[in-house]
Amino acid sequence: MTSREEQKKVSKKSVFSRFENSTVLTIFVAFIAVVIVIQLGKTGGSFPTFISPVNVLNIIQQVAVPGMVAVGMTMVMISGGIDLSVGMLASLVAIVTALGLSQWKLGVIPSVLLGIAVAVALDSILGYIISRTKVEPFIITLGGMITFQGIALLLSHSREVMMHGELNFFKINLIEGAKDPATGLNLVIPPYVIIFFVVVILGWLLLTFTKYGRRIYAVGSNESAAYLAGVNVRNIRLSAYAINGFLVGIGAIMMLARINVGIITLGQGLEIDTIAMAVIGGTALSGGKGNIWGTFFGVLLLGSIGNAMNMLRLPPEVQYIAKGIIIILAVSLGSVYANLSSSILRLNKSALSRRDKR
Amino acid sequence: MPDEVILRLENISKSFPGVKALQNISFDLRKGEVHCLCGENGAGKSTLIKILSGAYQPDEGGVIMFEGKKVTLNPHIAISMGIQTIYQEHTVFRHLNITENIFTGLEMGRNGILQKKEMKKKAEEVLKYLKSDLNPDDIMGDLTSGQQRIVEIAKGLIFQRKVIILDEPTAAFSVSEIDTLLGIIKTVKESGIGIIYISHHLEEVFRIADRVTVLRDGQKVSMYDLKDVTTEKLIKDMVGRDPSTFYKREEVPSGEVIFEARNVTGNGAKNVSLKLKRGEILGVAGMAGSGRSELMNVLFGAAGIESGVILINNKVVKQASPSNAIRNKMCFITEDRQSTGLFLKQSIAQNTIIANLVNTRGFFMSSTNDYKTGDKFIKLLGTKADDSHVRVINLSGGNQQKVVLAKWLNTDGEIFIFDEPTRGIDVGSKQEIYHIMVDLLKQGKAIIMVSSDMPEVIAMSDRVIVMKNGEVTAELSKNEVSEENILTHSIGGSKI
Repeated sequence: MTSREEQKKVSKKSVFSRFENSTVLTIFVAFIAVVIVIQLGKTGGSFPTFISPVNVLNIIQQVAVPGMVAVGMTMVMISGGIDLSVGMLASLVAIVTALGLSQWKLGVIPSVLLGIAVAVALDSILGYIISRTKVEPFIITLGGMITFQGIALLLSHSREVMMHGELNFFKINLIEGAKDPATGLNLVIPPYVIIFFVVVILGWLLLTFTKYGRRIYAVGSNESAAYLAGVNVRNIRLSAYAINGFLVGIGAIMMLARINVGIITLGQGLEIDTIAMAVIGGTALSGGKGNIWGTFFGVLLLGSIGNAMNMLRLPPEVQYIAKGIIIILAVSLGSVYANLSSSILRLNKSALSRRDKR
Repeated sequence: MPDEVILRLENISKSFPGVKALQNISFDLRKGEVHCLCGENGAGKSTLIKILSGAYQPDEGGVIMFEGKKVTLNPHIAISMGIQTIYQEHTVFRHLNITENIFTGLEMGRNGILQKKEMKKKAEEVLKYLKSDLNPDDIMGDLTSGQQRIVEIAKGLIFQRKVIILDEPTAAFSVSEIDTLLGIIKTVKESGIGIIYISHHLEEVFRIADRVTVLRDGQKVSMYDLKDVTTEKLIKDMVGRDPSTFYKREEVPSGEVIFEARNVTGNGAKNVSLKLKRGEILGVAGMAGSGRSELMNVLFGAAGIESGVILINNKVVKQASPSNAIRNKMCFITEDRQSTGLFLKQSIAQNTIIANLVNTRGFFMSSTNDYKTGDKFIKLLGTKADDSHVRVINLSGGNQQKVVLAKWLNTDGEIFIFDEPTRGIDVGSKQEIYHIMVDLLKQGKAIIMVSSDMPEVIAMSDRVIVMKNGEVTAELSKNEVSEENILTHSIGGSKI
């Protein structure tokens, strides 16, 4: 092999590895294509309702709240941690806010602020413990999850906390009257969808264009090297949990606004969904790897699966199987790519060293 | 009977890509003797042990004879034949007690039920035989490292091992623990077990060895009966490279003192004082485990300082954390670049800019600027990579080391600590790194260089301090620096 060719091969590889989100994008596009083809086959060529504006907005409404939390989860995971407590924390925040509104009569703004403050404070406590001890974040946040569940049940006396639509502001339609040209149905964009996009963009800016972003990746990929490079490792880890807590707080209030009742089941399974979204988007459980746009597509993909299965009238049992398989596929494909490119690299290297010996 | 050979190696070689770690080694071990292996860092002692324990396979042509039969070893066979290796790093179960540690994997049982009493009795007997006051119920994690070693030796006795290999057993021991261990080794040897003992401390060698083999650069230099040898002779055998083959360094005039440590104690370093001038390389020599890297961590603020002061430009500075040190214009190229120097998953750019974040104002960063900085240092240092988008994990050792250098050069620091600057790096990159170091000196910067590579220390240093057990045992000026002098002070017989 001439050195020119080698050069080409190496640079090709580095360009390829620059598209960090290629795996999730490939799967996402492939999935949409498959659904469209099936729909076209079924309806005999009429416009596939799956990609009609009304359905796309529908999907986004469904994923907006878990999506916000997934942004926080991505940051925690990049810093080398994980947070299993987000689901129960969201339930707790919803119950606290609902109580503030309906029983303690605090008024809307104080109740909402109280809910967010509780979320930030509790997740920061977990972050503090994790960053100051050597205990696995998995265990600490598992403990947090159980504790938060207990507090939430105690506060609500294990009952639902009814509200009277005090938070309805968050679900008004911002584009009242707009019609979908494809189906003629009403288009809906509530404020929380906007908030989701704002969170995604702010998260992306924070990770990509700030010192803080550089440091969080450093901490996640090599803690001791980060420390020796002057990074305050403990506070960076703590802050990731604090930010995550803030997003859980906002997310919980949006959920509360949607269903109008504070209840323990509100956040159930949120940790699984958000971890899945982040991981599908290419975030590594080992830290130091991941990005917000990857997570964004992970969010859309996971949301589309459920929606598409409903449209294709598949029973929920099958939906679980399909979701599970797609998660496994998304994650293992990434590692297959990595193995492939590293073995190509090894081959290159051994070819180089063989040439050097000669 | 005592002269019976248990283990014999003939023509053992071992090569790794680019290195010949061992060449044509012959070695034998008799029943009931202590055979010591001596040599500098990197002489091949550890490789030899790994071959004996079955962890490495020797190259073609070598023969291992065990009790007169030719054998091929792997870790399992080695243990079942009766060769037990006790490594430097502990391989104990900290939460189990002594009896359980001894019998793990080889439990005594009848019909699947453990015979706990039997096992405890056996453990008790052996500990008594070794004249140790340990109780079989003691939890392993509560013991000192010296006591843990004794348990490992006891294990060897219970299972009637024939060969016990001890690799640097007394690192981090107190004086009384060394006495106890050496006493126990004598007892064990009387029971007919052959012992291979590796130590950097020649005084221990002279206390327990029957024979001594000296290795240098992977070759066997000599073998003596202990009674025929002196400390001086051993040291002479361990050194003896031709200095004319060493790297020739450009001389740079030195300036005023930029860095000083006064009576620094902490993290294993004891009462260390040193001065560093601009334009100068201060070499720090000593055997592995002599506390050099530990001292560097203290000087850089990464480990706590118990007493003493650090002065930069003749002003006392508080060095409470690496970020303080970086602000004080210090840089620390660590010994193990992969685990403490680099962010392997990240790009060259991200690795280059990270340490200088401490010195920059503001909160926002531009990726374009990061990549520009990364590219600038790729060009400056001649790193072999397309551009700074490339992830560090895809680079070779020498190029990775250049990324580490880029990270520190980018901070515009003046006091550099290089800990093993060229470990695991090919010859070509080594020279380039030396060039960079000399360039730094020309800019009026200063370097403290820890190195186990003797030619490197001699070739690069303007002065050398030698460390042993956390203390500075000698400071050698340029014309006093020689392999023999350094080795004498780093392993020499008497404590200074």
